[in-house]
Amino acid sequence: MHPTRKLFVLPRSTYYEPDQRQGASLIRARKPFLIKNVITGLVMFGITASIYVYTIRAVSQDEFEDVKVPEAPGRGVSKEVGGK
Amino acid sequence: MRAQICQKCLAPSKLLLRRAPTTTTSPFAHQAFPATTARRTFLTGFRKTTVEKDGQVRPPLSSELASPSDHSLYKHAEGTRVLLKPNNLFHPMDKSPSPSMRERAANIKRTAYCPHPHHRTANSPTHIRFTCPDCGIPAYCSEEHWAEDYQNHMLICDALREANEDDHDLRSGRFFPEFEYPGEQMDEALVNFTNWDTLLYTREFRAINDERSLRQVTKLLTYPITVASFVHELSPYDIRHRLTVEGLKSVSALRYTLHPPRTGAGKDIKGIRVTPPPVRLFILGARSESSLPREVWHQLTHMFPLSTFHLVFIGPQSMMNRDAELPLPDRTPANPFGAVVERVSHNMKISTFVEYYHTLHDTGTFKPYDPYFDMFVLFHPGLGHPGSAAEWESTLPRLLDTKCAILCTGFTEEDMSRDVNWVHDKCKGEFDVLLEPGENRFRSLRWDINE
Repeated sequence: MHPTRKLFVLPRSTYYEPDQRQGASLIRARKPFLIKNVITGLVMFGITASIYVYTIRAVSQDEFEDVKVPEAPGRGVSKEVGGK
Repeated sequence: MRAQICQKCLAPSKLLLRRAPTTTTSPFAHQAFPATTARRTFLTGFRKTTVEKDGQVRPPLSSELASPSDHSLYKHAEGTRVLLKPNNLFHPMDKSPSPSMRERAANIKRTAYCPHPHHRTANSPTHIRFTCPDCGIPAYCSEEHWAEDYQNHMLICDALREANEDDHDLRSGRFFPEFEYPGEQMDEALVNFTNWDTLLYTREFRAINDERSLRQVTKLLTYPITVASFVHELSPYDIRHRLTVEGLKSVSALRYTLHPPRTGAGKDIKGIRVTPPPVRLFILGARSESSLPREVWHQLTHMFPLSTFHLVFIGPQSMMNRDAELPLPDRTPANPFGAVVERVSHNMKISTFVEYYHTLHDTGTFKPYDPYFDMFVLFHPGLGHPGSAAEWESTLPRLLDTKCAILCTGFTEEDMSRDVNWVHDKCKGEFDVLLEPGENRFRSLRWDINE
C-alpha cells in the first residue's frame, strides 16, 4: 500500500563485500603485485623511520656525567668576604 | 537490463577436448543454497518465518519456499523457473534434465568410438555405450573397458566433470551477473593485461568471485581480448616476453592507428578533422565466434576508444548458429557476395561472408591491404589438422601476400605446435615469426566437449 522509498545509496564497488572486506576477485587481481608492493612499503617505511631515528639522536642532549659541576655561587662569595 | 544467456550461442561450440596433462583443478565447492529469503511484502515487514512444533521460530528452508524462483538470485525477468540449483549441477549426460544435453549424449553415442586399445588391435571399432559415473560423459563401450582403461581416463576425468557441470550451469536458468559487460571508460584509463583478474578489474567489470562464473565469462571474452592483448600498447607480449623484432614492427604499425595522437576533434564545425579508415580485422575460418553476442565484440572498441573497427568474418561456416539472420541477402553489384553487414555502433561494423578466403582474395574484394590497418586473426583454425589442412593450403600463400600480421591460436599445445610445424613446412622462408608460440594469457578457462 505505501511503497518504501529508497534513500540515495552511495555507489559501492562490487569488489568489496558488504562488510568492507576485500572480495576474492580483488585479492586475485592484487596477487601478482602483492609481495613487491609490501616490500616497497616496508622499504619506504624503513627509510622514513631511519631518518627520524637519526635526527632525534643527532639533536638529543649530550651526556654530562663526566663533567664536575662547581658549587652554587652564593656560598663561594660569602667565604671570600669572610676571609678578607 | 538483466543479463540473459543466449541459448543459441551455447549450442555446440565445437571446441575440442584433448587429453591434457593432469590439470590441477580443485573440486568446485558449491556455496550452500542460503536458507533465508529476502522477500518483503507489506504484511510481512519482517522475514518470513515458520514456527516449529516446539515453538521455536526459524527462517524457512529452501524446500519450503513457494517456488525455487522466490530466491532473489534466481528471479528471472520473465518469471521463468530455475531448472537447476547450484548444488545440483552434476548429471550424467544421458540422464540430464536438459533436453539439449541428452541430445548431445545421443550424438556422442551414435558417432564416436570407444578409445580402448583392444579395438585398434582387433580392428573392431565399437560405438560408445557406457557412461563414466565419475564425470557423466559417455566414454567407453562397456564397463569392463572403462575399468581397464581407467588410468588414461583419470587424466581427463576431472576436466570432463567440470565441463559437464559448467554445461548444466549454463542451462540452469539462473541469473548471470557475469554477463553484464561494462561500457566505456575515460580515455586515460589504463587496462592491465597481466592476467584475467587484473584485466577484469581495470576494465571495471562487476566482481566475479565465483570460479565457475569466471570460466563461463572467459569462454566468451577470450575472442576479443586475445586480439586486444596482442595489439594494445600495454600488451604483455613485448621484446622480453615472446615478441620478436619483426613482431614489434608489425604491432607498432597497428598501434599507430589504434592509439592515435589527439587531433582536437570536436562536435562543431571547427572540430571537423580527417578521420582514418577503420581497423579491419579479418577473422578467417569463423565458426562459433561469428555468432558471439555483439556486446562481446564491442568490448574491443572500449579498449581502443580513439579508433574504429570493421570485423570481417570469413568462412564457409560463418553463419553457424545464426539462423535468425538467414537467408543471406541477394548478390547484387553493390554486395557481390551476399554479405551480412551489421552496424553494431558508431565505431564498430561487422560483415559476414560465407565464402572461402581465397575466393574473396582473388577477386580483390578487400584490396588494398595495409599493414597499418589490417590484421588477420585465425581462431583455432586447425592448420595442421588432417581434416582441415587441405582447405588452408590455398589460403595461406594469399595471406602472406598481403604482408599483414596474422594471429593464430590453437586449442591445446599439441594442436598449436602441429599448426606451427605445418606452416613451417608449407611456407618455409616466406614468413616471419611475430610472436613465439606459447600460452595465450587470455585463453578460455573453461573446458568444452567436442562431439
